[in-house]
Amino acid sequence: MDLPINTVLRPASLAEALKLLAERPGARPIAGGTDLVVQLRDGRRHADVLVDLAKVGLAGIRDSERGLVIGAGTSMDAIAAHPGVRSRFPALAAAAARVGAWPIQCRATLGGNLGNASPAADTVPALLVAGAAVTIASARGQRQLPLEELFAGPGRTHLKPNELIVSVLLPSVRLGQGRRLVERFVKVGPRQEQIISVVCMAGRAIVAADGRIELVRLAFGSVAPTPVRARATERLLERKVLDGSLRHEALAVVQEDVKPIDDVRAPASYRRLAVATLLDRFLAEVARG
Amino acid sequence: MPSKRPTARPVEGRRWKVEGPAPTQAVKSRESRVSASPHPAKPARPAPARTTDPGPRTPDPGLGPRTPDPGPLGGRHVRPDATSKVAGLTRYVGDLALPGMLHAALATSKVAAATIAGIDTSAAVAVPDVVSVLTAKDIPGQNLVGVIFTDQPLLVTDRVRMVGDRLAVVAARTPEAAWAAARAVTADLRPLSGVYDPVAAMAPGSPTVHESGNVFKTFRVIRGDLARARKAASVVVEAEYHVGGQDHAYLEPQGCLAIPEGQRITIVASCQCPFYIQHAVARVLGLSLAAVRVEQAPTGGGFGGKEDYPSEPAACAALLAWRTGRPVRLLYHRELDLQVSTKRHAAVVRHRWGADAKGKLCFAEVETIMDAGGYVGLSTVVAERANVSAIGPYDVPVVDVKTHVVYTNNLFGGAYRGFGAPQVTWAAEATLDKLARSLGLDPLEIRRRNVLDARKRVLCTGQKLPGPVLAGEVLERATALAGWEGFKARRPAGDDHLRRGIGVSLVLYGCSLHWGGQKLDRSSAVVILQPDGSVIVRVGLAEIGQGNLTAAQTIAAQALGVDPSMVQVWQPDTTTVGDSGPTVASRGAHMSGMAILDAVARLRTRLDPVAAELLECQPSEVELAGSFARVAGQAGRAVPISRVAAEMASRRIEAISTGWYHPPEREYDPRTGQGAAYEFYALACHVARVAVDPELGLVKVEEVSASHDVGRVIHRDALEGQIQGGIVQAMGWGVSEALPLKDGVLQNPSFTDYVIPTSADVPAIKIDILESDGPGGPYGAKGIGEPSFIPTASAIRNAVCDALGIDVDTLPLTPPTVVAALGDRHPHAWVLEVKR
Ligand SMILES: Cc1cc2nc3c(=O)[nH]c(=O)nc-3n(C[C@H](O)[C@H](O)[C@H](O)COP(=O)(O)OP(=O)(O)OC[C@H]3O[C@@H](n4cnc5c(N)ncnc54)[C@H](O)[C@@H]3O)c2cc1C
Repeated sequence: MDLPINTVLRPASLAEALKLLAERPGARPIAGGTDLVVQLRDGRRHADVLVDLAKVGLAGIRDSERGLVIGAGTSMDAIAAHPGVRSRFPALAAAAARVGAWPIQCRATLGGNLGNASPAADTVPALLVAGAAVTIASARGQRQLPLEELFAGPGRTHLKPNELIVSVLLPSVRLGQGRRLVERFVKVGPRQEQIISVVCMAGRAIVAADGRIELVRLAFGSVAPTPVRARATERLLERKVLDGSLRHEALAVVQEDVKPIDDVRAPASYRRLAVATLLDRFLAEVARG
Repeated sequence: MPSKRPTARPVEGRRWKVEGPAPTQAVKSRESRVSASPHPAKPARPAPARTTDPGPRTPDPGLGPRTPDPGPLGGRHVRPDATSKVAGLTRYVGDLALPGMLHAALATSKVAAATIAGIDTSAAVAVPDVVSVLTAKDIPGQNLVGVIFTDQPLLVTDRVRMVGDRLAVVAARTPEAAWAAARAVTADLRPLSGVYDPVAAMAPGSPTVHESGNVFKTFRVIRGDLARARKAASVVVEAEYHVGGQDHAYLEPQGCLAIPEGQRITIVASCQCPFYIQHAVARVLGLSLAAVRVEQAPTGGGFGGKEDYPSEPAACAALLAWRTGRPVRLLYHRELDLQVSTKRHAAVVRHRWGADAKGKLCFAEVETIMDAGGYVGLSTVVAERANVSAIGPYDVPVVDVKTHVVYTNNLFGGAYRGFGAPQVTWAAEATLDKLARSLGLDPLEIRRRNVLDARKRVLCTGQKLPGPVLAGEVLERATALAGWEGFKARRPAGDDHLRRGIGVSLVLYGCSLHWGGQKLDRSSAVVILQPDGSVIVRVGLAEIGQGNLTAAQTIAAQALGVDPSMVQVWQPDTTTVGDSGPTVASRGAHMSGMAILDAVARLRTRLDPVAAELLECQPSEVELAGSFARVAGQAGRAVPISRVAAEMASRRIEAISTGWYHPPEREYDPRTGQGAAYEFYALACHVARVAVDPELGLVKVEEVSASHDVGRVIHRDALEGQIQGGIVQAMGWGVSEALPLKDGVLQNPSFTDYVIPTSADVPAIKIDILESDGPGGPYGAKGIGEPSFIPTASAIRNAVCDALGIDVDTLPLTPPTVVAALGDRHPHAWVLEVKR
C-alpha cells in the first residue's frame, strides 16, 4: 500500500509516548488506525513518524468517585459491551455499537474518535449529553477539558501536537426521588451498518414526577463543523412540562442550533428535516415516560 | 466422421415442436423451494448430442439413458473453486509477480471537456524508479479502443471528453513511483464547455462531444396504429422517470499483467472476454491475433464492468511491456476504478401508456434517453436490449419505443447486469402501478389482465414466443410466496415510525445476445479424456465468480456419466479455445454447455466403439452414467469409464475433442424493431416487502420473493446464489447507490460514500424455481444471471410507493429522495420555512 510513513515507534508506557511526542516534531499518535491509515493513504493527513499507542496502557474502563472513566485506548467493542456503560450511559453504548461495523469496532478507539474530530463522530453527541470531560496529558503534566472545548473544526482539535487524550470522564447521574431518566442515541444513514452518520442525535432528559423537565441535553452530529449541543432548544425546554405546542416550538428553535450544509451525503434541507424528526421522536419519548 | 447420435436432440426437438400448452400443464411439477430437500428427485434427461446444425428435428424416441441415473444435474455438489477462494489460495492478478516486473500507472485527465494544447512528461520521467513514460506517439499500431465503434483513442492527443481520459502511461519499479510519476504528468488543457445532461445534450445548439453530434443512434420498436389506440384508451398515464447509474463494485478492481516474449505477448487479465482483449492488444501493438495470447485470470467479479473495459488497461500494460521488454502489471485503485471504468447507464425514461376501462393495455409509448458518456463503448448494444425490453412480458397491441444513445461528458456508460433492461423495467412496472391506481385495480390484478400467456404470446417485437409462456405462472407463484393477498387484506402494522408496503415486478428476459450481436454468439469447447478417466474441459466462457466452472463441470459430468470431481474445467485462454464472445447476457452456462455437449458427442464417436468392444455390445447401445459405460437398460453389464479411457490410451485413440455451438440465425428489422430479437426467453417475478420510515426517508427491504422459469436447473446452489446476489445487487442500485457528478467528476469515489449493501442489509429471500419444457440451452436450461437482477429494484420501488401512497420516480430511493418526494406531506416540512 502507498503509505508515506518513515517510522513507527512503539513506546511501552504513557511517559515514553509523551516523551517521544515532545521530542519528535512531525510525530503523530496512532491508536486503531481506522481513521489515520485511510487519511495517510489519501494524503489528507501527513506524519513522518507514527507513535503507536497500542502498548501504552490506555485501554480500560473503571469507576471513580466522580463517575466512569474510559481510557482513550478502549475499543468501541469494549465500550458497547461494558455493563456499566450500558446501564448508566446507554446513549454511549448505543453509539459505540453503531461505529462502522463490528470489525471496525474491535479496532476503533474512543481516543481516536475524539482525536480525529469528525463532525460525524458518533460517540461525541452521546458523550456531550453525558457532560463528559477529557483528560489530556503531555510530558509536562495533565489537564482536564470539557469535551465541548476539545474541537476546533472539522478534523481539528485544540490539542497540541505533543499532547495525548488519556481518558474520558462520564460524571455519574444522581437521580432524585420520583425522577425518570430518558437517554437515547439515534443514527441516520442509508444502510444498516458501516455508514457515516448523515445525522445523529443523542438526548438525555431527567423528568420530575410532575412532568417537569429538570434537565435536558441534546446533541447532534453531522449538522455543523463539529458535533454540537442544541443549547437554545435545551434552554427552551428546561423546567417546563412538555405539551404539543412546546414540542412544536422546539422543532423550530433547534433549527437555530444546527448549521447543516449540502454535501454528497445529503442536502442541508434533508438534515434539517431529520433533526426535527429525531428531536420530535425523542421528545415524544420524554413525554410518554 | 459422422456422429453416432446425429439425431439425438431431444431438447432441441422439443424446442421446435412444442407450441405451448396452457402454462399449468407445461410446468413439469419440478419446482422446489430453497427450503426443500437438497437433492430433489429429477427425471433422467436424455443426453443431447450434436448441436451445431440448428434445423428442426424430431427427437429420436430410442435415445437417452434407459437405465435411470440422475447424475449431478440439478444437484448441489461443492463448487470446484470454493475451497481455494475461501482459503485465500486463489491467485488473482494482484497476487501475481514476475522477476523484473514493472508497475504501471495512468496519467488521466481530471476535467471532462477540454482541448489538449500539450502534454509534458518531463517531470514524470525524472521521478526516481521510473522506467518509461509513454504517450500516443509511442503506440506502434492504432491508437484505438472500442469493441464496436472506434470513437475512442487509447491515449488522447487533441481532446478530452471524459474525466479519466488517458494522457500518458507510466511504468516504474514500484507502484508508488509509478503513480507519483503519473501525477507528475502535466497537460495544457484548454477548457471547453461540456454537456452534463443527456436531455440537454439532445437539444440543438448544445455543445457537442463528438463532431457527428450527440445523439449517436436511436433504436425503435413500432407496432400497430398509435392514433387509433390512443382514442380507445380510457385512462392514460404520462410519466418521466429519472433512473440513476450504478458502479459494478466488483471486489477485485480492474487489473492485468502483460508479459512480452520476443515478437509476441501474453496478457493475464481479470476480465469477461479474453477475446476482446486479444483484438484490442493486437490492434494497438500492430500484431497478428495469433501473436497475442490472453489468459483469463481468476476474476473477482465482473457484472459487465469487465466486458469491454479491461481492453483499455490491457492495451496500456501491453504497450508498456512492449516498449520496455519487461512484464508490466497494472492494478487500478478503487477511487480510479470508480471514476473511470464503465457504469450502468443513467437514463431518462418517458412514458405515455393507455389502458381501457377494464385495465387492458391499449398502447405504450416509451422514449428512453441513455447517457453514454464520452464514448459509445457498448452503449448501442445496451440500448438495443433496453429498446426491446421496454414493455415487459405484457400483451400490448400498439407500441412505439424510441431508445436514444446520447453522448455527454459524464461517466462512461457500459455493460452492467441487465444491460439496459433494469432501467426500462423500473419505468414500465411503475407505470403499470400508476394505471392500476387510476383504475382502482390491485397491482396484481392489472398484471393478471395483461401478462402474455399461451394464447397471447406475441411480444412487442412481433416475435411469437415458442414453448410454454409462464408469465402468469411466475406472477401467481411469487405473489403467493410473498403472501400478497394476506398483506393486502391486513397490512402489517409497523412500530411507531414505519409503514409497510408490498410491490411486484415481472421480467421477460431475452437469453443470450440480441439479434444485433448474433455474429458474436458462438462458443467453443475442448474436452480431453485422460487415461485415468478424469476429464479436462476448456470453454471459451469465463468464470468470473458467477459459477461458470461449476456449470460447465456439471454439464460435462452429466454428459460423460462421470462424477463432477473427475472433471477439471480450466479458465479460457485464447490459444486453447476458439473465440466464444463475451461472458455476458446470462449466456455462460448456456453457451459453454452447448459446446461441451457437442464436444462430448464427438468424443463418443471414438469412445463408444471401444466401450462396445469391452461390453460386447453395439456402440449404439453404449450408455455413460454413474461412472460406468454400460449396456443401456442393463445396469449389470458395465465397465468403469476409467477402464475405457485406459483402453483408448493404450490403443492410441484420439481422446481429445472440440465442440462448437451457435444458435440458429434469426430475422429482425432494426428500423421497426420487429423480429426475433432473441432466441428464447426466461420469465421471472419478484415481490418485495419493505418497511419505510417516511419522515427519515429510510427504506428497509424486509423480504424478496422470487419465482423463476429457468428451463432446467444445472446446479442448484449456483442458481440460488445468482438469484440471491442479483436481488442484493439490484437492491443497492434501487435504494442506496448514487453516482453524483459535478462537471463529470464523481463526487463519491470510494466505498465510504458509494453505498453498496452489506450483509446487514440483505433481506429475507424466498426462491421458487420452475422447470419447464420449452426452448433453452443445455438440457433446456435458460440464463439466470440477469433475470435475477432486473425485476428487483422495480418491485422495491412499487413497494415503497405502496407504503407511502405517493410516487417516487427517481432512482435510487435514497433518504433525501424519498423525503423530497413527500414534499409538503412531510409532517415537519414547515421547519424549512422557519426564519433563522
Ligand atoms: C470502515 C470504517 C467505518 C467507520 N465508521 C465510523 C462510524 O460509523 N462512526 C464514527 O464515528 N467513525 C467511524 N469510522 C472512523 C473511525 O473508525 C473512528 O473515528 C475511530 O474511533 C477512530 O479510532 P482509531 O483508534 O482507529 O483512531 P486512529 O485512526 O488511530 O486515530 C485517529 C486520530 O486520532 C488521533 N489519536 C488517536 N488516539 C489519540 C489519543 N489518545 N490522543 C490524541 N489523539 C489521538 C490520531 O493521531 C489520529 O489523528 C469508520 C472508519 C472506517 C475505516
